[in-house]
Amino acid sequence: MITFLELLVNGISIGAVYALIALGFVVIFKATDVVNFAHASLLLAGGYVVARLHAAIGFWPALLAGIAVAAVLGALVEFLVIRRSKAATHGVLAIVTIGVDIVLTTELTRRIGAEVLAMGDPWGSRVVHLGPVPVAETRLVALVTAALLIAVFLLAFKFTGWGVAMRATAEDPETAALMGVRLGRVSLSAWAVAGALAAVAALFLCVFPTPGLDRGASFAALKAFPAAILGGLDSTTGALVGGLVVGVTEALMTGYQNDLTFLGRGIGDVAPFLVMIAILLLRPAGLFGTKELARV
Amino acid sequence: MTRASGATPESGAAPESGATPESGATPTYQPGGMPPLEVRDVTVRFAGLTALDGVSFTVEPGTVHALIGPNGAGKSTCFNVLSGVYRATSGSVRLGGAELTALRPHEVAALGVARTFQNIALSPRLPVRDNLLLGRHRLTRAGFVAAGLRLPRARREERAHEARIAEIAAFVGLGDLLGTPVGLLPYGVRKRVELARALAMEPRLLLLDEPVAGMNSGERVEMAELIVSVRESLGISILLVEHDMGMVMRLADRVTVLDFGRRIADGPPAEVQNDPKVVGAYLGTEEGL
Amino acid sequence: MSRHLIRAGVLAAFVVVPFYLEGFWLQAGLFAMSAAVGAIGLNLLTGATGQLSMGHAFFLAVGAYAYVYFAAEPTGSLGGLGLPTPLAAVLAVVLSGAAGGLFSPIAGRLKGAYLGIATLALIFLGQHLLFNAGPVTGGFNGRAVPPLELFGFVFSDAPELVVMDVPFGALERLWFLGGAVLLAAALFARGVLRGRPGRAMNTIRDHEIAAGVMGVPVARYRAGVFVLSSMYGGLAGVLLALVFQRTVPDYFGMLLSLDYLAMIVIGGLGSVGGAVIGAVFVSLLPQLLTRYGDALPLVAAPGSGDGVSPAEAARLLYGAAVVAVVLFLPGGLLGLLHSLRRRLPGLRLPLSANPTPSPETRS
Repeated sequence: MITFLELLVNGISIGAVYALIALGFVVIFKATDVVNFAHASLLLAGGYVVARLHAAIGFWPALLAGIAVAAVLGALVEFLVIRRSKAATHGVLAIVTIGVDIVLTTELTRRIGAEVLAMGDPWGSRVVHLGPVPVAETRLVALVTAALLIAVFLLAFKFTGWGVAMRATAEDPETAALMGVRLGRVSLSAWAVAGALAAVAALFLCVFPTPGLDRGASFAALKAFPAAILGGLDSTTGALVGGLVVGVTEALMTGYQNDLTFLGRGIGDVAPFLVMIAILLLRPAGLFGTKELARV
Repeated sequence: MTRASGATPESGAAPESGATPESGATPTYQPGGMPPLEVRDVTVRFAGLTALDGVSFTVEPGTVHALIGPNGAGKSTCFNVLSGVYRATSGSVRLGGAELTALRPHEVAALGVARTFQNIALSPRLPVRDNLLLGRHRLTRAGFVAAGLRLPRARREERAHEARIAEIAAFVGLGDLLGTPVGLLPYGVRKRVELARALAMEPRLLLLDEPVAGMNSGERVEMAELIVSVRESLGISILLVEHDMGMVMRLADRVTVLDFGRRIADGPPAEVQNDPKVVGAYLGTEEGL
Repeated sequence: MSRHLIRAGVLAAFVVVPFYLEGFWLQAGLFAMSAAVGAIGLNLLTGATGQLSMGHAFFLAVGAYAYVYFAAEPTGSLGGLGLPTPLAAVLAVVLSGAAGGLFSPIAGRLKGAYLGIATLALIFLGQHLLFNAGPVTGGFNGRAVPPLELFGFVFSDAPELVVMDVPFGALERLWFLGGAVLLAAALFARGVLRGRPGRAMNTIRDHEIAAGVMGVPVARYRAGVFVLSSMYGGLAGVLLALVFQRTVPDYFGMLLSLDYLAMIVIGGLGSVGGAVIGAVFVSLLPQLLTRYGDALPLVAAPGSGDGVSPAEAARLLYGAAVVAVVLFLPGGLLGLLHSLRRRLPGLRLPLSANPTPSPETRS
């Protein structure tokens, strides 16, 4: 039972991190209709900057720098690539982000090489006890941070002018433009915010109990894709639920791996994708996604 | 041009192995009798919004029936229900013995219902010929295997249907444009390609969604003449959504008027034109008559 | 008439190649042929029908491993059916199609980029199975591939064969097999694209609703194209296994799927010629950089540890090429060749023109 609770808490906290990534992914999709396959590479870039800089300038400045770099990188992708290929269909835009992903991931994994980079975070490997349940401090910080960021984000999405512009654009870009929404700014900011969220997520994916940032980190980030789509690509609620579903599934399957040997080793990495397939079979638009209504 | 039941495929649809997406599951089209289209109490709601509210009308065989109303009256929604794109929340649409509301778009098409789109929905990179041949989809059989291996029957089928496409193109006035990619054609001509593609389906019922929208007056007259000759030479029933009132009054045998999803009038054009409710609906929205 | 001359010339060049080129280039060429077969399949799905797939590598794996399992004699811990190798190859392609068919409830209902994300599952599932289903796949170590034997002719180095003073080993023999397979795969795909299915596929890409209203059963078609593209992937996998003579699980990962997407974008979406050109470009680029990397600044020798390795340089180049093509060269390299040919009427390139090069513009 205690194992179960421990796994559950870990799953929820890592799920909250996946939700951060998925949230950025959904925001880009809502604002620009682009499925951003370069998302994992934005995350890797943010994490890489933190890992490289913390020794020189300290952890907190390094974290800020990582967030800034990922945000600027996201904005650059929007400004230099997405905006210039207006004529392309959404499918082709998704492919262009794959091109961006190939370039960024290749260069970053080349720089990382075979190293495992420490993130220099202040929490180290301390473990706290919630009642009888031992939990890594990093996991608690991740959970609290992710919850805070998500809350701030959702409030901003609901109540600020930026959020209204964003939602109006998602609803109907042409009308939004006529009402004075600057589509360019909306999509630029969406990409920047998504990059920033991904950088925060990168930190928590690479701290204890993970040994550090290595070239496989972008693989971990890929689990945010099933999180986003099983929740529904156009739903922020869906991103949260999807993130939690993926995190908990992964934690439980990995934790009980030894009882599930008939499924093979490493089932924890595959399970989120299998859950995604199962959900898509029942609901092709995801749990909270709106069924696209054709306008003809 | 005569009604071409002879243009159906000569090859008898031999069953195919492999990745053929066709099966005989859908109801098929029997040429010949032209049943009325009966729309009864059709209601469509999206997320609390009622787009159509208990709408009924009947399109008699071989007539031109116009569906008019101010913007947002539910005309497009109605078309989408009739062609299987939207599901009706309640109500029924019958064509002959078939209930259309339960069918998916391709199954509706199989019953001989063709439509055009208000915003042109052609493949811009494909030449006119291929866009029109798409209209022959339900009348042809070649699947992946037959087309991939270029089996004789697939080639025969292609030739036969290209001949029919050439006739239809000539009828619509596109005879010398068959090889031109649609994207290079001017707007008014693309509208005619839309009509020709629908005719290529050899339909019993033709749904035209604003066939002259965005056209200049010369093009409008041509299109109107074309619609008249479609009805006269092919005997197809036509349901027409159009904003050009002059054209509606000239062409239509009967008019149904929608406003805010409700039917507010139904009758011969002259009668509907003078209906105070219709006049009110149009004046209220500043929609030009 | 000149068309026939060009075809004859290309054929002659193809036949002459194994007599002059060394093994390194023959192998590179064979990889390119296998990639071309796979890319044609992916272009049917992604380019012509608008359905994104990140799972193409999975179907290559199914083809490659199924061939090995069907053809190999069981030994020790490794299973095998010991079927005649041509039958094993055919069954491997059929099995790839069946695997695609199993995915059809998803492939038929999801569209475009949505399907792209869903197909990521295939990559992870595939890797999991390859590493865990040891008796079939050989796990981490992979398996040796039995050579193909067609009517008593073995596609391997033994028995020795010398043709016109040139020793004909496995690569030389496979060269002709690969060429024949690629030609057949290309002609079949071209027939599909130019015929009734191709029109339906293009319309699903350009305007899904119009396709349905015109009588195309959209979901069934999407599933059907997915199956077809899986079979192409499986065929490419069989060919790859025969050339490489060993299957290794790592190879069939996400990067391979991305490579295939890069191929069809760079070459030209939606056409057979585009897939072939893109496949040649993406698979030969690393080999060229490996061979002639010394002459280039920035590219380090393989294994030297610092600087950009040829494989990385190639990935950087074609990743950037994907972006550049979408931005500046809609229609890809094939489109570029077509416009060159239009501008230089004297220059006639032996490329198959396809009526629908790419979907990049939409009115």
